[in-house]
Amino acid sequence: MFGRFRVKKLIRSNEFVIFLILLFLSLTIGAINPAFFTISTLFDTLRSSIVFLILAYGLLPIVIAGGIDISFVAIAATTSYATHMFLLKQGYDGGILLYYLIAGGAGILAGLLNAFLVTQFKLPIFDVSLAMFTMWYGFNLFFVGATANFSLPKGTVGFYNIFVFTAQDPNVGETGLHITVLLALGLGLIIWWFLKYTTLGRGVYAIGGNREVAVRSGFNVRLIFFVIFGIMGLFSAIAGVTQAFLSRYFNPVIFITQPLDVLAAIILGGAAITGGSGSIIGTTLGVLVIQVINRALILTGIPVEWQRFVVGVILILFTSIPALRNLRAKRMGHTSQLTQSD
Amino acid sequence: MSEPIIRVENISKRFGGVIALNEVSLSIFPGEICCLVGENGSGKSTLIKIISGVYAPDEGDIYLNNKLYKKLTPIDSIREGIQVIYQDFSLFPNLTVAENIAINHQLAHRKNLVNWQEVEKIAREGLQRINIELPLDELVENLSTADRQLIAIAKAILADARLIIMDEPTTALTQKEVIALFKVIIDLKERGISTLFVSHKLNEVREIAERTVIIRNGKKVLDQDARGIDIATMEYHMTGRRLDSSNIAFSPPGDMHTPLLKVENLSLRHGFVDVSFALRKNEVLGITGLLGSGRTELALALFGELPADSGRIFVQGKEVHINSIQQAVKNQIGYVPDDRIQQGLFLDQSINDNIIISVIDRLVTRIGLIKSKTKNEVSNQWIQRMAIKTPSGKLPVKTLSGGNQQRVVLAKWLATMPKILILNGPTVGVDVGSKAEIHELIRQLANEGIGIILISDDIPELFQTCHRILLMRTGRIVEEYQRNDIDEQYLYQRLIFSENQAKAVSED
Repeated sequence: MFGRFRVKKLIRSNEFVIFLILLFLSLTIGAINPAFFTISTLFDTLRSSIVFLILAYGLLPIVIAGGIDISFVAIAATTSYATHMFLLKQGYDGGILLYYLIAGGAGILAGLLNAFLVTQFKLPIFDVSLAMFTMWYGFNLFFVGATANFSLPKGTVGFYNIFVFTAQDPNVGETGLHITVLLALGLGLIIWWFLKYTTLGRGVYAIGGNREVAVRSGFNVRLIFFVIFGIMGLFSAIAGVTQAFLSRYFNPVIFITQPLDVLAAIILGGAAITGGSGSIIGTTLGVLVIQVINRALILTGIPVEWQRFVVGVILILFTSIPALRNLRAKRMGHTSQLTQSD
Repeated sequence: MSEPIIRVENISKRFGGVIALNEVSLSIFPGEICCLVGENGSGKSTLIKIISGVYAPDEGDIYLNNKLYKKLTPIDSIREGIQVIYQDFSLFPNLTVAENIAINHQLAHRKNLVNWQEVEKIAREGLQRINIELPLDELVENLSTADRQLIAIAKAILADARLIIMDEPTTALTQKEVIALFKVIIDLKERGISTLFVSHKLNEVREIAERTVIIRNGKKVLDQDARGIDIATMEYHMTGRRLDSSNIAFSPPGDMHTPLLKVENLSLRHGFVDVSFALRKNEVLGITGLLGSGRTELALALFGELPADSGRIFVQGKEVHINSIQQAVKNQIGYVPDDRIQQGLFLDQSINDNIIISVIDRLVTRIGLIKSKTKNEVSNQWIQRMAIKTPSGKLPVKTLSGGNQQRVVLAKWLATMPKILILNGPTVGVDVGSKAEIHELIRQLANEGIGIILISDDIPELFQTCHRILLMRTGRIVEEYQRNDIDEQYLYQRLIFSENQAKAVSED
């Protein structure tokens, strides 16, 4: 009885629905072009998901707390690009770790600046992020540099080619799963643990549910905002650096068109735009759905312009599921009230 | 008797020039159920806030568990075992029952990590202490108001409450849920936990109170054993005047030949079945029934919000089709919803704007602009006529008391000059004094020729205002009474009469 209850709950969960969408998409695409069902496609899809996963994991706590932020992409671009230009000037030829450390530190500071403005002056999160989005990209282009840079330090050459494991693909030969998959996985686990097992993490949900009550209950709302914006800054910087080394060049306006794609993935993953809900598993599936669609459209020969259209349609369909459910529940509620007293 | 949990002596509190509390003294003893009664603005909430440490009194002493507090803070108050359950229950809708109950414990013990087994254990213990079972992993947003209230009580108990203050706890509860709540309160009493029950629903006060305290205009006017205080006495002390309902002058309703509104065999799936009735000019027609009887659906159907599936509607003898609110308004039908705050008002907008919003078409000049002078004239006229208490019509509606907000909703619809006015629970959440004034207004409107349908389960209210009363049960009109043929007691019995009993009687 209890078991059945659990199963029912799983089936009704957003994560399950998005999983079905992913499954359905994959099967459909595979039926049209069997090339989809190859190891190399799988590895490629995962590789192109890595950076989006890291960005989404960093943004998720803010969305759960009821905020919408778009400045994370600008923080990613500025911290990674500025770190690179700085190290280039110093003649650095070491490994990638120093990139993560410097950019990560700068990212945290940038995130804390958002948190400071939001908590100190009671500004709306979206307004602050809109300003920061423009400001950081502007800063990057004006003070740091306006052109893409392709000269990587010696110690980082070959990083794009380090695999967790490799496999033989019948069509393309040897293919590998990039090591940074583990990075994304690790960061995802950290956020999962933070949201589920720390009082601060539960406070994030509490703020998203009812900020006033969260204050009244004794949550340190200010501290929570500093923590989640710090996480956002750190994760964005990591994503920016990772993206640069996977594609082997630094771009001062990287991700500038993509903040809404990341937000879309989080919403697809079951987070409410008004806050209070959202999960790591859902976010992961949301990112994968969008990546699979991108890949699918290439494989099935549908023009690239359709990508966005299709993502939009899926988003509408997906977000209307809970609304339809509510409608049905309401109707049933009415009936049961009448039949109960009959 | 043992020591009182709380003793306040000669408390006074002023806000600017207004005296909110004037030398009020009050003691509450362990295991006592005390009811605090008063109209809106009488000083009830100020008193609660002083007891819970939110406001500091200007004068007077506060003793908690016999300890004098010169400066009482909310933390002190909680530490001494005083818990206030506000109307919003302070819950997180997006979290589970278990987490909501355990969250304060978690925070109070400054835990940085969450142990979910412990959360569940704490929650189960909290619910056990009030003998309640709720699904621990359900989200609070999926629960009824009554269940949310129980969670709030469980939270208070877990915080070692010795006195629980409930602020208007029954506002959104059904009859059944109120009875369940009373059981919990009595249960608490048996374990020595006191309740301060703040309400203006006098029949409930009469049922649950051991001691009744009434305040009026910041002064305590009554404090005595609840036995032997009847509702009329309470009303007298609350308002300071006798409210007499026995000899109300009813104007006779118009003739039956051409009724204002006639409804034939109206049905709505999941709402009501085969409803027929007529409403005359000058008439107030009551429609009563329990929640789920279809009474609200019927009102919404007549107002075009939930158009009926089948049946016919006649306005002044002519058949009309009401499929939208616009069509209802065109046929001069007005509707005042039961949830005035959500459905009837824009709280942040001015009183003036709220009143004229439904007649805005008539106030625009030829080029489509609104003359603010005409606008203010029209709304001032209504503010005067409805006796809305406000220094200016330009203030936002949320600055008004509940009774005055209800008048704004009425004014808004009366401004459309309706011939037929549907009122759904017009005095829900309104205090006794304003209630009497709204009843007077309803009778006056009927005198002026409007036909009024009054939907209510407040039986005295039906007797105050209606010529005829229709009783609905499971979507059907099952009985019709002339007001003068029955008394309140009889109607009450018929109202709560369950369907099974009804069947048994009809089979006899």
